[in-house]
Amino acid sequence: MKSLLPRLGLIATVLFAGLVTASAADSKLVVALLPKSKGNAYFLSCKNGADKAAKELGIELLFDGPTDSNAAKQNEIVENWITLGVDVIAVAAENKEGISTALRKAQKQGIKVITYDADSMPDSRSFFVNQATPQGIGYGLMDEAARLAGGEGEFAMITASLTAANQREWQKYIEARLKEKYPKMKLVAVRPCDDLKDKAQSEATALMSANPNLKLIMAICSPGVPGAAEAVKQAGKTGKVKVVGLGLPNENKRYVHGGVTDSVILWNTEHLGYLTVYAGTALAKGTLKPGAKTFKAGTLGEFQIQGDNILLGTPFIFNRGNIDQFDF
Amino acid sequence: MTNSVKRDWKSVLLSHEMLLLYVLVAEWLFFFFAGTTTNRRGVIVGFGTLDRQFDILRHSCEIGLLALALTPVIITAGIDLSVGSLLGLCAILFGKLWHDGGLSLPLAAFLTLGIGTLAGGLNATLITALRLPPLIVTLGTYSLFRGLAEAITHGAITYTDFPASFLFLGQERWLGLPAQAWLFLLVAVAVWLLMHRTTFGRGFRTIGFSPEGARYAGLPVGRRLALVYMLAGFIAAVAAIIYTARLGQAKADAGTGYELFAITAVVLGGTSIFGGSGSVHGTLLGVAAIAVLKNGLACLPVVMRLNAAEEMSGLLTGALLLLALTGSVLPKMLSTFRAHRHAAQPPSPSPSS
Amino acid sequence: MKRYFRELSVVGALGVGLLGLAIFAPAFFQPQPLLSLVTREAPTLVVACGMAFVIICRQIDISVGSMFSVCSVCAGLLAARGWPLLLVLPAAVALGALLGAVNGLLVAGLRLPSIVVTLATMVTLRQGLNLVRQGEFVNLPDRVQWFGLSQTAGQLVLVAGAVALLVALGLAMRHLAAGRFVYAVGTDAEAARLAGIRPQLVTFLVFGFVGALTGLAAMMNLAQSPQVQPLSGLGLELKVIAAVVVGGVAISGGRGNLWGAFAGLLLLACVAPALTHLHIEAYWEKAIQGAIILLAVVADGVRSRKGGTG
Repeated sequence: MKSLLPRLGLIATVLFAGLVTASAADSKLVVALLPKSKGNAYFLSCKNGADKAAKELGIELLFDGPTDSNAAKQNEIVENWITLGVDVIAVAAENKEGISTALRKAQKQGIKVITYDADSMPDSRSFFVNQATPQGIGYGLMDEAARLAGGEGEFAMITASLTAANQREWQKYIEARLKEKYPKMKLVAVRPCDDLKDKAQSEATALMSANPNLKLIMAICSPGVPGAAEAVKQAGKTGKVKVVGLGLPNENKRYVHGGVTDSVILWNTEHLGYLTVYAGTALAKGTLKPGAKTFKAGTLGEFQIQGDNILLGTPFIFNRGNIDQFDF
Repeated sequence: MTNSVKRDWKSVLLSHEMLLLYVLVAEWLFFFFAGTTTNRRGVIVGFGTLDRQFDILRHSCEIGLLALALTPVIITAGIDLSVGSLLGLCAILFGKLWHDGGLSLPLAAFLTLGIGTLAGGLNATLITALRLPPLIVTLGTYSLFRGLAEAITHGAITYTDFPASFLFLGQERWLGLPAQAWLFLLVAVAVWLLMHRTTFGRGFRTIGFSPEGARYAGLPVGRRLALVYMLAGFIAAVAAIIYTARLGQAKADAGTGYELFAITAVVLGGTSIFGGSGSVHGTLLGVAAIAVLKNGLACLPVVMRLNAAEEMSGLLTGALLLLALTGSVLPKMLSTFRAHRHAAQPPSPSPSS
Repeated sequence: MKRYFRELSVVGALGVGLLGLAIFAPAFFQPQPLLSLVTREAPTLVVACGMAFVIICRQIDISVGSMFSVCSVCAGLLAARGWPLLLVLPAAVALGALLGAVNGLLVAGLRLPSIVVTLATMVTLRQGLNLVRQGEFVNLPDRVQWFGLSQTAGQLVLVAGAVALLVALGLAMRHLAAGRFVYAVGTDAEAARLAGIRPQLVTFLVFGFVGALTGLAAMMNLAQSPQVQPLSGLGLELKVIAAVVVGGVAISGGRGNLWGAFAGLLLLACVAPALTHLHIEAYWEKAIQGAIILLAVVADGVRSRKGGTG
């Protein structure tokens, strides 16, 4: 027993020395990417793009986040990265105010901070890679919905949860656009599906039977779109009740081809991840400075910068004609 | 005589709490060596830094408080699934009282503590006055409290813009430690004293061991049990205030799923889910073991490259819990097994226990 | 009549609710949407039957949601590899039974408290699945949905299957020795042992059985849609426990039956669509569900204080 302790100490020292030398040799730039929720297909496709960029740039990419959308957990992960001394932290903020404290702390330690997907407070980051403003999404969805419904009639909405910040934000702009431009359309219900496809399906079924004049279902969370589409298909209302929403091409191809879902709106999430990693790396290397007007990101070419927002471009509408060109 | 002293030492060294302490120390040392590195700029970073240790403490306060709240509950053979939901309800009520009610923060906090205690009182009434099983009562209030939080805020309203003087409690250091850690320690010491240094606290163990026996011994079982659940509500309200201060926001989803972490910590800490035995220091060790595991894993280079810190920590916490449970029954099973064998063989001449 | 008073009161509550719906929202009863909604609850019913067994045996299993997800994803992957459904079905059931047996081994073999054991397996399975699948959907071949039948036929098969299972198990609980063993163990394990029953074996089998039923339910869910979301089944444990308890199965073991669990499930499952039909805002849903659960247990409590339990 007595001889064991020093031996353990020796082993530990060797281990420690080994780790230190290993990490010193491995002196790549480290970019840490924080999604809102990790298991979400949306963020997984962001990560695919980010991986591609990391490989091209020869940097190390960390990707970690809550397994469910959880503001407290996001702060904890950022604080962990601060003590790990990463070079860049890129965040999709679940809650604006909540995350900003942690991000300011990171900036104080000399870590470069950018946001993507959902912004934090402007003073807590250098740039926001803006895929589409909540206003752009809300208005885009509402316009597309009005076009499909012919500008009048009842529609219903399916959200992820009543508390998710981004869902509230989008809903706000959808309702604003509705009020301003489409007085003949009526939002009859908003139902949460807890990010579960199965629950979205049940909710959509109930919505259709409760509202016989329903013309359209709008799902603003990605599991909600195939869920609603399946409900419409099973109700035999394909074409009568239109489905539109925010989602990924792969999860919806089947329904778009079947004519159930009319269009799925999304920006190119792989490009979003790719651009975020490029911007973060450039910021750390000093090639991207506040005040820049454009930014060149690898194979994707030039992007416009407006103030401190790097613009990815407008959301993309996937429909039967083009959805097969995308695989994410 | 010497023999018995030796045995006592052995039983102390092999007690559940001590074993957990060894695990904790081993965990900590492992992560200290394997999770600390130097970064590109030559600065030592990772698990071994003081900052990280303080972060771990800061992140553990709310779940730690809920675990403290649950220790007396589980020792009396009860359970409270509603503490996480109650945290959420208290957080938004606190925000609402301050923001919409126009109350000063201390007054809002004071009222929130009262509301937490009352909500605990609802559990208590159903459990003691109607003698309903705590599991089901608190399953109902688990849904009810979260539902009320959502109904009050419509799920949408988030209370923010708390003044810096309040955020200090959740985000800054005071006398060297994260500010909320002092509050946590205060509650921990109070609960420890209650459970281990008063006849009152020992009564809880009696109730958990045998409520009928306790009744015959003249203990007011109903009233004592009611107190335990109200205390849990009170502590959940304290946790709600700390949570709000740490994140700078009060929202209806605060504390979702925390009850499971808290129960895990309590059980890992050696408290029997059947009641009657357990300790507050065991719970604290349980909280620490889980917190170190979670945070340590996130510092391991291997885990980071796999992008799997979250999942791995869940996986290993589950495994640790199973291990602790198995470990806690194995000696007993072995001894019954031996007793069976002894019974089958003629009694051995060696000195028996 | 008196014997089933508790179950009948749930049926009564359900009846009153449905009557209210018939008056204020008759659209609720259109056959096609109703069939779809009922089909969606068929897998839940199967799991609820299993949960009723476990609770009558004075145990609890909170890992069913995670087991459901694991079985769904594994079955989905097998089906996507081109396995015939006739093989996928037993594979899913066997996997569920295996996972349940692990719980059973820990609970019955090592005599560990079931709530903690299944808490641990719940977390372990869920996070393990997250680790492996990262939330990615499994796309299924077309022939899987409705077992290749037409939609209505498929829905009827699923609902009829679930109800047939319920009836079979309900009758078995009452008339077969094995069913009575579960009641005996749940009422008093020691007395059951003295009567010649092996309580640990019964407990082990019950956990294995609920696992198998969960695997079956996962398969029934799989057959309803062309995709599997790894998250499916999240929160299922609370839903079925609540249904079983509202249905009058006592958490202290030995009392209650599957008919009550069935009524309880229908009552709770109606809440969400009823709110939609009555145009009540969604944020009341959780509070209403919580209130129903509390009401049911309070009724139990009041009745047992009056000494009315049989």
